[in-house]
Amino acid sequence: MHAEVRSHIAFYLTEKQALAEAADAPPLGLRPALLARYRDLARLRYDYPVALLREAAAPAAFAPLGALVARAVERAAAAADDPARYAAPALALELELRTLAARGTPAPLATLADAAAGRLARGADAPTAEMLDRLRRALAIDAELVECDAALPARLVTHLWQSVQQRKAAAFRDVIDRLVLKLGEILQADRARSAAARTPEALRAAMGTVDRDAFDFEAMAQLLARLPERGALSSSRRQRIEATLAVLAAQRFFPASGVEPYAFRFADCADALAAFRERLPEMAKLARAVAVARLEIEGEYSEPRHDALFERILGAAPDLRALELFPHYLVCVDARALRARGHDALMELLAGALPVKVLVQSDDILEETLAGTGQVAFGAHARQLTSMAMGMNEVFVLQAAASHLVRAGERLQLAMEYSGPALVSVFSGACAHADGVPPYLYAAAAMESRAFPAFAFEPVAGPDRAAQFSLAGNPQEARDWPVHRLDYEDAEHQGVSEEVAFTLADFVACDRRYANHFERVPRAHWGAPLAPLAQCLDRQAKDLPEKLPCLLMVDDANRLHKVMVDERLVRETRRCRDFWRSLRALGARRERDAARAGVRDAQPPAAAQAPSAMEAPPAAPETAAPATERPAGDPYIETARCSSCDECIQVNNRMFAYDENKQARIVDPNAGTYRQLVEAAESCQVAIIHPGKPRNPGEPGLEGLLRRAEPFQ
Amino acid sequence: MTLSATECLLQLAEERHALEEYQSGVPRWCTGCGDHAILAAVQRLCRDEGLRPEKTVFVSGIGCSSRFPHYMRTYGFHGIHGRALPIAEGVRMARPDLTVFVNTGDGDCCSIGAAHWIHAVRYNMDITVFLHDNQIYGLTKMQASPTSPRGLKSNTTPRGAYLEALQPLTVTLGVQNVSFVAQAADWIPESLYEIVKAAYRHRGFSFVRIVQRCPEWLPKQWDPWLHDPKRILLLAHAQGLRPGPELARAYPNQIEHDPSNLDRAREIASDADLIPVGILYCNPDVPCYEDLQLGTRLRTVDYVRAGLEAELDKFTVWPQ
Repeated sequence: MHAEVRSHIAFYLTEKQALAEAADAPPLGLRPALLARYRDLARLRYDYPVALLREAAAPAAFAPLGALVARAVERAAAAADDPARYAAPALALELELRTLAARGTPAPLATLADAAAGRLARGADAPTAEMLDRLRRALAIDAELVECDAALPARLVTHLWQSVQQRKAAAFRDVIDRLVLKLGEILQADRARSAAARTPEALRAAMGTVDRDAFDFEAMAQLLARLPERGALSSSRRQRIEATLAVLAAQRFFPASGVEPYAFRFADCADALAAFRERLPEMAKLARAVAVARLEIEGEYSEPRHDALFERILGAAPDLRALELFPHYLVCVDARALRARGHDALMELLAGALPVKVLVQSDDILEETLAGTGQVAFGAHARQLTSMAMGMNEVFVLQAAASHLVRAGERLQLAMEYSGPALVSVFSGACAHADGVPPYLYAAAAMESRAFPAFAFEPVAGPDRAAQFSLAGNPQEARDWPVHRLDYEDAEHQGVSEEVAFTLADFVACDRRYANHFERVPRAHWGAPLAPLAQCLDRQAKDLPEKLPCLLMVDDANRLHKVMVDERLVRETRRCRDFWRSLRALGARRERDAARAGVRDAQPPAAAQAPSAMEAPPAAPETAAPATERPAGDPYIETARCSSCDECIQVNNRMFAYDENKQARIVDPNAGTYRQLVEAAESCQVAIIHPGKPRNPGEPGLEGLLRRAEPFQ
Repeated sequence: MTLSATECLLQLAEERHALEEYQSGVPRWCTGCGDHAILAAVQRLCRDEGLRPEKTVFVSGIGCSSRFPHYMRTYGFHGIHGRALPIAEGVRMARPDLTVFVNTGDGDCCSIGAAHWIHAVRYNMDITVFLHDNQIYGLTKMQASPTSPRGLKSNTTPRGAYLEALQPLTVTLGVQNVSFVAQAADWIPESLYEIVKAAYRHRGFSFVRIVQRCPEWLPKQWDPWLHDPKRILLLAHAQGLRPGPELARAYPNQIEHDPSNLDRAREIASDADLIPVGILYCNPDVPCYEDLQLGTRLRTVDYVRAGLEAELDKFTVWPQ
C-alpha cells in the first residue's frame, strides 16, 4: 500500500486530532462546491429580504422583495408604450435595494426605495430617471424590509401573529360593539316607556329644537299619562343587563378606549403560563357576559334555566372552546435559554391545549450532544421538542429553517390561526461558528443536508398521522440527499459535469469547530481510491474501506478541492440519513394514502360517470325502485310525484290527505266511492292517481267508471 | 367543528317547527294551480333548514304568485306591482340578519319590474328569488305577459301574441355578476324541492325560474312536456344536483352539466324544445353587494337620528 494511502486511511479511522502533527487543526477555509455560486447574495434574487406588509388590505402579511419589484414593474409599466424597457432599471433598483437592506438595520421600504432610486437617477438620462421615479412610487408601500438574520424568525412570526390578532380584535370589537348597542337599546326602550320619560320636560328634551315652542308638551304628557304602563323591564333583568354592559366595557383582552389592554407577547413560557392563569377568572366573566348578552338580545334568557346554568359555568373550569374568542399568546424563546430553564412551562402550555403560539429559535444545531460521546446533535434538541409536541396530538407543529419561512408562509399563517397551541421551531442560520457563510445560505444548507428538515403536523388536516404529517417543501423529498449538477473546468481546461449530493458532512464542513474531521487531499493524490461520501454510507463500519469518502469543496478563489471525511462524521451522516428516512416513511404513508384515494377518485361509480352532452343517460339501477307491496286492484298514488295542487283533497279529504311533506296519499280507500277515485284521477294535474278496481260491485254506473279509469291503471 | 360556549347556549333555546306551522290561512289559488306545489316545497325547505319564522321574510309584488306571503306564517311584505325586488333589497340592507325570499310572477318581474330585475342580478344581494312563470296574467284574467309564447291568444292578443317570448333564464344569465340561476317545473316536486334548497343555500342572488301550470287560463299550455317526460332535460353534476334513481327513471333525458360553465348554461337555457331542470349556473365567488356596501359602521341610535334629522331638515320651512 502506498504511503499516502496509508496516511489517508489513518486519518479516516482516527481523525486529525489523534495525529501528533495536527493537534491544533486550522480552519478548513473551504465551502462545499455546490455553494460556490452563492458568494454574493445581494446580487441574487431569492426570498430575502422580505417586506413585512402593514396594510390591512394586503392579501398576505409579507412578501419577498423580488415579488414586490415584479409587481411594481407591472404597475409602473401598465401605461407605458414599451413595458420591456422597465426591466433594466427595475433590476438595477432591486440590486440597489438588496445592497442597502444587506447593509444595516430594518427600514421602511418606501425610504429605501427613495434612497435607491435617488442614487441611481443621479447619473441616469431623463427617460431612465422618469422610469425610476415611477418604480419608486409603485414601491411606496407601507412595509418594512428585513434581511434573513438572527432577529428574523421572531420578527416574522410576531408580525404574522399580530396581523392575525388584529383581525381577531376587529371582529371581537365588532361583536362587543353590537352587543353593547343592542343592550343599550333595550335599556333605552325601557326608559322611553317609563313614567319619567313621559313628563313634559322629558318630552321637550326629546323633541329637538325645531318647532319646540309650537308644541304643547303638557297636553302631550297628560295624554300619555293615561296610557297604561306595560312591558317594563324586571329589576333582575335590568341589573343583569347593566352588569353585563359593565363587564363588556371593562374588558382588557382587546384594545378599547379608556382601558389598558393586557400584553400577550412573552419571552418566557413560565411568564405566559402565569399570565394565563391570572387572567382566567376575567376570561370566564367576559365569556359569560357575551353569552348572556346574546341571549338577552334574542329575548331568550330564561331565568329559571340560565341562571343556574351560568352559575355552574362560572364555578367550573372554563371550557377551552370558549377561549376561541380571546387573543392567543405568543412566546418567542431561544432554544439555548429554553434548555437552560427547562421545558416544564412549555410542556404545560402545549399539553393544556392553551391558545398559545411558541416560537423556539435555534441558532446552532451542530453542538455536540450532552452525553459527551462526541456525537453531533444536528438539531436533536429541536427534534425532541417537536416529537414531544406531535405526541400530544393537539399541537400544530411546524419546523423550518429561516431560509424556508417565506415559502412556508401559508402554513405559518395556518399555525397562527389554529385554535389550539402551536409550536414553531426555526433554525435561524445565524451561527457564530459558520465559516463566512451568511445566515440565509447556512439555514438553507441545513435544510438541504437534512440536518434540519422542514415538516408540519396539522392536527385538523385529517383523521390520522398520515394525513396530518407533511414533509412538503423539502428539496428532492424522494431522495436520501438532494442531488445537483456541478459544472467545472478541470486542469486541462475541459468542461466537466457531475451530479453531486449535498450531505450532512457538506453542511458540517461549513462549521469551523469540526475542521478536524476533514482533510484536504493534495491534488497529487487525487488518483487514490476516493469516492463521494454519499456512496460510502452503506458500507459496514467494521470493514477496512476500499474507497475513502470525500467531498468536493472550493476555496475563496473557487478552486476545486477534494476533502476527506473521517469515519466518525461518516457515522453521523449515516444517522442523519436514517432519521430522514424515518421521517419520509411517515410522509410516504400520506402519499400512499393519497395515491389510493386518487385511484378511487379516478374510478367513480358507474352512476357518477359523466356522459357527454345529450348522450343517453345511464340506466337507473334495477334496485332503485323497490316494488311496493300492495294487493292487486288496490288504488294508489305516486306520492313522490305529487305537486300538492289540492285537486284530490277537494274531491274527498277523508280518502286523500297530505303527508308530512305536504304530498298526497290515500289514507282510506273505503272512505269514498269508486266514482270519487276516478274523478280524482281525472282531475289530478300530474296523473299520478291510479283508481284500481272497484270495491263495491253494486255501485251505480260502474261500467262507465271502469272505462274512464282505464287510462290511469 | 368546535363551538363556543355561547353558541351551545343558543342552541339550547333553538326550536324546530313542523311544516304546518309555516302555513297561514287557506290559499286562494285555483285548485290545481302550480303555486300550491311551490308553497309546499318552500314550506318543506323552511322546516328542513329550521328557518325561524321571526327571522324570515317573504316579499312579493302583484299577481297570483304574489299572494305567497299571505300563506306563510313568517314575516311578509305584499308590495306593489313590479317592486318586490327593491323592497327585498331594502329589507336586506336594513336587516341583514333576516333570510329574504322574493316571490314574483312573469308579469311582475319581467314586465313592469324588469329594470329592478336586471339590477338586482347585478347587485347580487343575498336573496332567493322564485319566478313563478305561468306565461299569463292570471289574477286579471288572462292577458299576455312578456313570457307568453308567440301566437298565444289572450284577452289582449285576440289574434295571437305577435312577439317572441322573453326568456327569463337567458336574460338573467346575460347580466353581469350573475351568481345563481336554476330552473324547476312545478310538476316535478322532488327536483323542485332540491333546487329551492340549493338556491336558499347559495349566498348571493339566487334566481329560480319555476315553470308553472295555470289550469284556469292555460290548461293545455304545458301538456306536451307534461305528457312526454323525454322533453324534460335533467341537469346533473357533482357540483350541482344529482337526481335520485326514481327521478332518473321517470325522466330519462339527462345530461352532465357543470354549473360553473356559463357559456354552456346559456346554450342550454336557449333550447326552446326541452325544459332544462336543474342548476344552470352557480358561482359562489361573486361578491355580494351588502358585503361591499354595508360597511362596518354601526347603525347606532345617534347615527340613525343624525341621518334622519339631516333628511328631514331638507323639508323644513324656516321662518323668514
